Amino acid sequence: MAVKRKPIGFYLASGWMGLCVLMSTVGGFLPLPNWKVGDYDNLGVGLFSPGHLLGTDTSGIDQLSAVINGTRLSLTISFTAAILGILIGGFLGILAAYSRGWLDSVILMYFNVSLSVPTIILALALVSIFASSDSMGQTSALERIGTLILTLAIVLIPILGRIARASALSWTGRDFVLAAKAMGMKPLQIMWNHILPNVVPTLLSIGFLAAGVLIVVEGGLAILGAGVLDGSTWGAMLATNRQLLTIYPHTTLIPAAAIAMTVLSLNYFADYIRNIIDGRESRL
Amino acid sequence: MTSLLSIRDLRVEFDTARGPLAAVRGVSLDIEAGESVGIVGESGSGKTVMSRSTMGLLRGRKVRKTGSVVYNGQELLTLDLKSLRELWGTNIAMIFQDPMTTLNPVRRIGSQMREGLVKRLGLSKEDANKRCLELLKLVHFPDPQEALRKYPHQLSGGMRQRVMIAMAVACKPKVLFADEPTTALDVTVQAQVLDLLEDLRKELDMAMVIVTHDLGVVAGHTDKIAVMYAGEVVEFAPTRELFANTKMPYTEALMKSIPRLDRQAEKRMPVIPGRPPDPTEHSPGCSFAPRCQYAQQKCRDEHPALEDAGNGHMYRCFFPIGGR
Amino acid sequence: MAGTGKVHLRDASQAVLRIEDLVVEYKSGGTVVQAVSGISLDVLAGETLAIVGESGCGKSSLGKGILQLIETKSGSIVLDGQSLTELSKEELRQARQKMTMIFQDSISSLDPHMKVSKIVEQPLKIWKKGTAQERAAKVVELLISVGLEPEVVSNRRPTEFSGGQCQRINIARAVALEPRILVCDEPVSSLDVSIQAQILNLLQDMKDSHGLSLIFISHDLAVVRAVSTRIIVMYLGKICEVSPPDELYSKPLHHYTHALISSVPIPDPTVKVTGAILEGEPPSPVNPPSGCRFRTRCPAATDLCAAEEPQLREVDEGHFIACHHPRS
Repeated sequence: MAVKRKPIGFYLASGWMGLCVLMSTVGGFLPLPNWKVGDYDNLGVGLFSPGHLLGTDTSGIDQLSAVINGTRLSLTISFTAAILGILIGGFLGILAAYSRGWLDSVILMYFNVSLSVPTIILALALVSIFASSDSMGQTSALERIGTLILTLAIVLIPILGRIARASALSWTGRDFVLAAKAMGMKPLQIMWNHILPNVVPTLLSIGFLAAGVLIVVEGGLAILGAGVLDGSTWGAMLATNRQLLTIYPHTTLIPAAAIAMTVLSLNYFADYIRNIIDGRESRL
Repeated sequence: MTSLLSIRDLRVEFDTARGPLAAVRGVSLDIEAGESVGIVGESGSGKTVMSRSTMGLLRGRKVRKTGSVVYNGQELLTLDLKSLRELWGTNIAMIFQDPMTTLNPVRRIGSQMREGLVKRLGLSKEDANKRCLELLKLVHFPDPQEALRKYPHQLSGGMRQRVMIAMAVACKPKVLFADEPTTALDVTVQAQVLDLLEDLRKELDMAMVIVTHDLGVVAGHTDKIAVMYAGEVVEFAPTRELFANTKMPYTEALMKSIPRLDRQAEKRMPVIPGRPPDPTEHSPGCSFAPRCQYAQQKCRDEHPALEDAGNGHMYRCFFPIGGR
Repeated sequence: MAGTGKVHLRDASQAVLRIEDLVVEYKSGGTVVQAVSGISLDVLAGETLAIVGESGCGKSSLGKGILQLIETKSGSIVLDGQSLTELSKEELRQARQKMTMIFQDSISSLDPHMKVSKIVEQPLKIWKKGTAQERAAKVVELLISVGLEPEVVSNRRPTEFSGGQCQRINIARAVALEPRILVCDEPVSSLDVSIQAQILNLLQDMKDSHGLSLIFISHDLAVVRAVSTRIIVMYLGKICEVSPPDELYSKPLHHYTHALISSVPIPDPTVKVTGAILEGEPPSPVNPPSGCRFRTRCPAATDLCAAEEPQLREVDEGHFIACHHPRS
């Protein structure tokens, strides 16, 4: 059986994500201007200016450093929330699908109720509870980050949970599950050995999509003032500079481009996994 | 006299992730008007791909068809979709294995049946309704009026198949392809449906091509049988001749290994060793050689061509049973 | 037609499995439907009992009910002296080592993400039989015994195999724990005809070498003739006829059996089909006909058939029939 050559998109997407990981880990050591300190001699300069490859914003902050720095936090927030969503949502979804009966109804009810709460309201509410600004308008970045991750995860759990449940349902009806039961396997054993491994690929695929969406959502929350305020994520950069879109477009477009590339790459991986799953299942 | 449907050296190849897959590798057949032809084969034989590509149902970038399929003087393989659509239903029709998936589950039977009549024959809704009732009576439906209002899932498998048959013959086609028409049905219903098809064929003077894996189904209901293996026709003969004078070892082995109702129970059944070949694999010799009990070196080295044994009997073998 | 007849049951001490008055119900859109209405049967050691019938007759529900994979409403199931319906959940789970099942869809019966060797090892692992090495050796032995090459198949996944090969894997897994009884639910119906014979032979071999008893559920009369020692014909949840194979096919006494046999197409154009073709469709199990359930399609039905349900009675050696007016 010939091994299929991976399409070029795979290399592009992996390349970008690899670059992101690189930026997150070693980016801070690059000989670039400190992203927190503004270069007052070069306020608002455009792309390819001397000393500032991607220009600066109105505070003189080097966009390249800012983007590199933002990578770590943006990815951390969205990936952590996505992972939490997959773990908790996936567990609840599989449990609901396998047990049917009252447990299924309860879990499903939780999912449906959660989905009816608007994300933005939830985010603002949680931020005001856990990480509101003190009288000086300052707030701990860590509190904000934690709240953000919490919010995004809470929003994600019912979505992933329902998907996990639907996927698990399609597997629980299969003959091999019946065969496992006929062998004398206990329900938890069946769920762990048979249902879970088959649901994971779907969840993973959706999980990549979700991570991408969360980055964008984080940007939206930042604009609303519920995100990390010190401009250290891509979303925060967007928030800080969006009003200057017409005057200094590069300050908004640079973080937007970073978000877009990341979302595209993650979507690509999601599709890629999806194709593998379809390929496998079509042979069944 | 030219045949109604003439297939010459049909080859169908798919582009797959694993490389080119030759599902049909050079099939030539003639079907006369009013005749019933059976196409028998197992999985990988290419029988379904052949029947569907003959009709023109398999299209797309990844399908390559060469050869010729001439219906009533018209070459079908190169015909554009619009003209093909004109032929479908009115001249060439097809019924499939599982009526549950070929009927639209969210529309009532009457609505589905009327659609074809209204669009094709331009009938008004009332006329179409009348015609539907006639058709359902034609296919021995017990309560046609009631049936029109039902949804597919409210009918049994046999009933759904009858609806499919009714829809297929609505415009009085000259050729009906039946792709495993009874495989999904109970054996008593199968007998009813096969009988029905036979009656319809005579009444409408229709040619019929039954594609199936069941030798029993074709034995009693066809004039000629083509046996397919690994994408080729390996034997083609009038039905009685095929059973009385089998030439190709595969056909013989198939007949022997099928559990039979009218034979004494045997402790161990004769088997054909091995499995049908993978369509992505190619071997230089005869495709059946690895499993043939009569195989000789020539069979593994050279590919046999179709030979004529006289009285309409064709076979593809270097060492046929009973000599040449 | 009676399910309440038990005359066809043999000596209880000889039976590996003995079922009496089994009833299986399910809910269908608010109403309760009886798939199996008081069926009794037994299986002796080394026997292959075939259960034949068309769709809707309840044979699949019967198979699953015997294994308690679905709930049975009432009736007793005694396996090797143990009454399955009276066991606790854990005891029932333990009893599952003695009974196994293989299904119609051979590929779907295998977990697509698991390797074949792990699949076959699974029953041994669950019940902690032997060390890991001993289990691995047993898996190799099992694969060879079902005609597969361990080096070739062990590390592959089910989707890489054909239906016939997957069925072999299913059989290897099913006999791993040396069960007493193996229930086969349409095991060859989805396979190519030339493969069917291979699998049927394999089942016979397994039965002999492992000392199993088989219950073979099928709608295909020709297949059943080849493998069984006793045949039960079912219709709409009840038993019509019980007989050894040769007698059943040469002299079917029940009108339904006769119709079934006449409907099977013979692969021989010179053989003329005799007997009437059955009219109509099987009635819905939601509302079965009174008395004999087959009477609505039976050419010999009388008022008696509507009034009184026929009980099974012996008409010949080992040949039982539930009919008021059997064929002569």
